[in-house]
Amino acid sequence: MDPKMDSGFLLPNETLEDSYNVLAPILPEEVIGIMDQLLCYEMAWHTGYPLSQTLFTSVYIDKLLWPEPKTVEEAQFYRGDLPAGRRPGVLLEVLRAYCLALVKCCDFVIAKITGRDYFEEEDFCTHTYNRVLFVQVPLDVFLRELDAAVERMEDTDLEMSSSLRKAIISRLDFRRDFLRALDLDCPLEHLSNYWPPILSNLTSIFTTQQLGKTVPGSFSTKIQRRLASTVPPRPIVELEFKDAFEKLKQLCIDCEEATRFTSLEPDPLEYQSFLLVFASRAPTPLPYSRSYLATLLFHPQILNATSSLPLTDVRTLVLPCSTILSPANWSFSPPRNPLLPKPPRLQLALLVDEFIERTGQPYLDFWTALGQNTCRLRRMLTHVIGGWDQLQTDASIVDADLMRVVTEMGMRDEVMDSPLTVWVYQKKLWMIEKCVLLGFEQDIYLPDEYGGMYHFLSLISGRRKVVLEAISAHFVTRARQLQHADQLPEAADVEDGAQHIASLISEADGVSSLGAALASFYTVLLYLKVLPRPARPFSSQELRFELRMKPFLALQPPEVPPFKDWLDKVQPYGPYELPSPSFLADVQNADSQLWSNMDANIKRAKEAFSAVMKIGATNAKCGGVKEAWARDVKGVLASCVALGIAVAGVRSRVARSGGGIKMEVEMGVQGLGIGIEIPLMGTAKRYAEGWVVAKVVKG
Amino acid sequence: MSESNHAPLNADALQYVQYDGDKEESYLPAIRQLISKDLSEPYSIYVYRYFLYQWGDLCYMAYDSSSTLIGVVVCKLEPHRSGTFRGYIAMLAVQEAHRGKGIATKLVCMAIDAMKARDADEIVLETEVTNTASLKLYERLGFMRSKRLHRYYLNGNTAFRLVLYLKPGTASKSPSGDMMGGGYGNMGPETAARGDGVMTDARSSP
Ligand SMILES: CC(C)(COP(=O)(O)OP(=O)(O)OC[C@H]1O[C@@H](n2cnc3c(N)ncnc32)[C@H](O)[C@@H]1OP(=O)(O)O)[C@@H](O)C(=O)NCCC(=O)NCCS
Repeated sequence: MDPKMDSGFLLPNETLEDSYNVLAPILPEEVIGIMDQLLCYEMAWHTGYPLSQTLFTSVYIDKLLWPEPKTVEEAQFYRGDLPAGRRPGVLLEVLRAYCLALVKCCDFVIAKITGRDYFEEEDFCTHTYNRVLFVQVPLDVFLRELDAAVERMEDTDLEMSSSLRKAIISRLDFRRDFLRALDLDCPLEHLSNYWPPILSNLTSIFTTQQLGKTVPGSFSTKIQRRLASTVPPRPIVELEFKDAFEKLKQLCIDCEEATRFTSLEPDPLEYQSFLLVFASRAPTPLPYSRSYLATLLFHPQILNATSSLPLTDVRTLVLPCSTILSPANWSFSPPRNPLLPKPPRLQLALLVDEFIERTGQPYLDFWTALGQNTCRLRRMLTHVIGGWDQLQTDASIVDADLMRVVTEMGMRDEVMDSPLTVWVYQKKLWMIEKCVLLGFEQDIYLPDEYGGMYHFLSLISGRRKVVLEAISAHFVTRARQLQHADQLPEAADVEDGAQHIASLISEADGVSSLGAALASFYTVLLYLKVLPRPARPFSSQELRFELRMKPFLALQPPEVPPFKDWLDKVQPYGPYELPSPSFLADVQNADSQLWSNMDANIKRAKEAFSAVMKIGATNAKCGGVKEAWARDVKGVLASCVALGIAVAGVRSRVARSGGGIKMEVEMGVQGLGIGIEIPLMGTAKRYAEGWVVAKVVKG
Repeated sequence: MSESNHAPLNADALQYVQYDGDKEESYLPAIRQLISKDLSEPYSIYVYRYFLYQWGDLCYMAYDSSSTLIGVVVCKLEPHRSGTFRGYIAMLAVQEAHRGKGIATKLVCMAIDAMKARDADEIVLETEVTNTASLKLYERLGFMRSKRLHRYYLNGNTAFRLVLYLKPGTASKSPSGDMMGGGYGNMGPETAARGDGVMTDARSSP
C-alpha cells in the first residue's frame, strides 16, 4: 500500500468518525487557539487550496454545516434537543458565532470570485462539497450573532483574565469588520470605509496570538471522507500563523487599494493603468483581491460613467474634436422613405456604433486579461492580440466607409487616414511589447535569447512610434484647423490631448532605443563567449525562432521578420563560435559603430524616458497611480544607467586586450577575466522587471 | 558547453532498456517506487498504466550492474488539439545516489530520439520553476521555456512549460476538423497543460 496514494484506507483500529467531543467545555485560551487556527486555514484557502484540506477539516465547522441545517438556529454543534445541562457553554456559543460568520465570509468570497473570470484550481478552489454556506441567509443575521457574542464576552459574570477577554473580543470584532467588507452589496461610495478598521485591528490579533492554545483534535482529515469528492483525502494544508497573517494583511491592503478605483477619472486609459499597476503589485494580489477590483471595473456604475469605454479610448487617441464623434450625429433620424439616402451625419453615427459594437468583445477580453495573475496575463494577451488582429481588418472596412462619408461632406482634411485601423494597430503593438516584456519579467527567456528578444521588442516599439507620429501630426493639423476656424477652446483641447500622444511617443522611443541597446549588448556578449549558451543538440536556431514567434506569426501587420533578416540582426558577424574578423576589430575599437550605436541608443533611451517623466503622470493617463508610475519610469531610467555602466565595463576590458584578444575570446570568461551576472526575477536586483541588465563583474 | 562532461564511463556501464509490457510485473513496481520517492504528487497505478499501456515503447529505464532500477523516463505521443503531433515527457527520475552522471540526460535523449523517429512535431513537459537540475538538463538539450504556470502543481508550486520543436512549421499547424478547440474562453493554457495528462492529478512534480 502506498500511503500517499491510498490515503483513504483506515489503519487497523482506526475509526471512520472523529472521537472529538465538540460539546465539551473549552478554555478561553483554546477559543483563541481555534480561532487563529481557523484563520490560518481560511488564508490557506485564499491562496488556492481546497476547503477540504483547510477550513473543512474543522470538526466544529463540520458540525455546523452537516447535516444541513434548515435555519441558522439549527446550525449548532449538535442537532435536535439537548438536555439543559448539556447545552454548550458561553465560550462554545462565542465560538459558534465566530464560525458562522467565518462560513458566511467564505460564501461571500466564493460569490465574488465566481462572479468574475477566474481559473478553478490555478487561482482558487470554489468547491464546497455539497455544503451550503448559508447562501440564503442575509448579512445582519451573522452580525447579530457576533454582537451577541461580544455582549456575552463583556459580561462581568464571565470569569477570565482581561487579556484573554480582550483577545477574544478583538477576534470577534475583526470577524464582524471583515464580514462587512466582504459583503457583496457594499455601496460603491462607501467602499473605502470598510478596510481601514480591519487593518487597524489586525495588530491586536497578531500580538495576542501567543495567548492561544491549540486544540489539534478539533481538526481532522477524516472529514474529507464524507465530503462529496472524487479525489482521495489529502493532507491538511498547514500555513503558519505569521504567514497567514501576512496574507490577510496583504488582502486587506490590496482591497483597500482597489477601492481607489472608484475615484479615478472616468477614463478607460486611466483604468487600464490602474489595472496594470495592480496586477504587478508585489507580492502578487490574491485571487479575491483581483476579483474585488474586477467587480469594481465591471460595476454598472463605473461602466456607465463615461459614454462608452472604447469610444472614449478612440476619441482620445485618434479622433480629437472630430465631426465623426460629434454628439449631434446621434440626433438625426433616418428618412421616412428608406430609399432616400441617410444624412451623412447619421451615417457617421451608424458606422461608429457598428465599430464600437464590434470592439466590445476584444476590448472586454483585453480588460479581462489585465485582471489575471501576471503569468496568465502574458498567456492571455497572446490570444487577445489575435482578436485585435481580426478587429483591425474589420476596422479598415469601417474606415473606408467613414472616409467616403467625410469626403462627401467635404471634411476629409479634418480626419486622419484610417483612424480606427490606426487605433487598433497602436494598441495591438503595445500588447505585443507587453507580452515580450512580461516574458522577461517571468524569466521565460534564457540569457542567450535576450539579444534576439530585445531586438524584436525594439522592432515592434519602433513600429508603434511611427504610428504614433502619424497620430501626433494629425493632432497638430487639427489644432491648427480649429485655430483658423476660431474654435479656440476646441483647439486648446486638442493641444492638451497631444500631450498624451507625446508621452506615448517618448515611451515607444525609449522602449525601442533601450531594446536596441540591450540587443546589441547581449549580442556582443555572445560573441565574446561570456554568456552561457546551451549545446542544444536537438534544436536549431530557426526552430527556436519559430517557437518564440509563434504567438505573432499570424499577425498582419506587424509581420514577423523572416528568419534570415532576424538572423542578420542577431548575428551581424556570422556564427557566434566563428565571427568574422571584423568583429574583433570593431569590438576592440572603442569608437567603432558597434559601440557608438550602443551609446547613442542608451542616451536616446534616457532622454526619451526623461521626457516621459517630464510630460507627467496625468498626460501618461497614469494620474491615478502616479507614485507607482513614477517608480516604474525611474526604474527604467536606472536600467539605462546600469546598461551604460555594463557596456563601458565590457568595452574597456576588451580594449585593454590588445593583440591577445583573439585567444582570450576563445577562452571565454576565463580568457577575458570578466563575468556576467544576470539578475533573476524576484531577486530585487532589477531596476525594472522587464529590463534585464546584466552586471559585469570580475571573472 | 559539452553535453557529456560528466563521467560518461559511469553512465555507460549501465544498461538502458526499453519498457516491455510483457514484463509489467517486474518493471512496474520498481518504476512506481522510484518515481513516488521523488514526486510529491501521488500517482495512482492507473496513471502509470495509462502511459505504459499505450506508450510503453517511449519509456526507457536504466539498470545498474546488480539489476536495480536507477532511472526512468515515461512519455506519451499523440495528436494535440493545436494540430501538432506532440510528445509529452510525463515523468523522469533518477535515484538520488546516481544523480549528476548524465543518466537522466541519456534517458531523455533516448526518448527524444524515439519520438523523433515516430515523426513528432514537438515535445513538451512541465517542471517546477525551482527544479534547477531538471531545467538545466532539458534546456541544454534544446527545450525552451514557453510559459510560466502559476500554481500548476497541487502543492501550490509554479511550473515552467518547456517546449522543444523538432520540425519547422510546427508553430503554424492548426487544429483540423473536430479537434478545433473552443473559443478564447476555454483556451487557457492550463487546459492545454492539464489536457496533457489524462487526469488533472497527473502532474510530474518532484
Ligand atoms: C532531474 C533528475 C532526473 C536529473 O537526473 P540526473 O541523472 O542527475 O541528470 P543529469 O546528470 O543527466 O543532468 C542533470 C544536470 O543538472 C545538474 N544539476 C544537478 N543537480 C543540480 C542542482 N541542484 N543545481 C544545479 N544543477 C544541478 C547536473 O550537474 C547536470 O548538469 P551538468 O551536466 O551541466 O553538470 C534528477 O535530479 C531527479 O530524479 N530529480 C527528482 C525528480 C525530478 O525532478 N524529475 C524531473 C521533473 S519532471
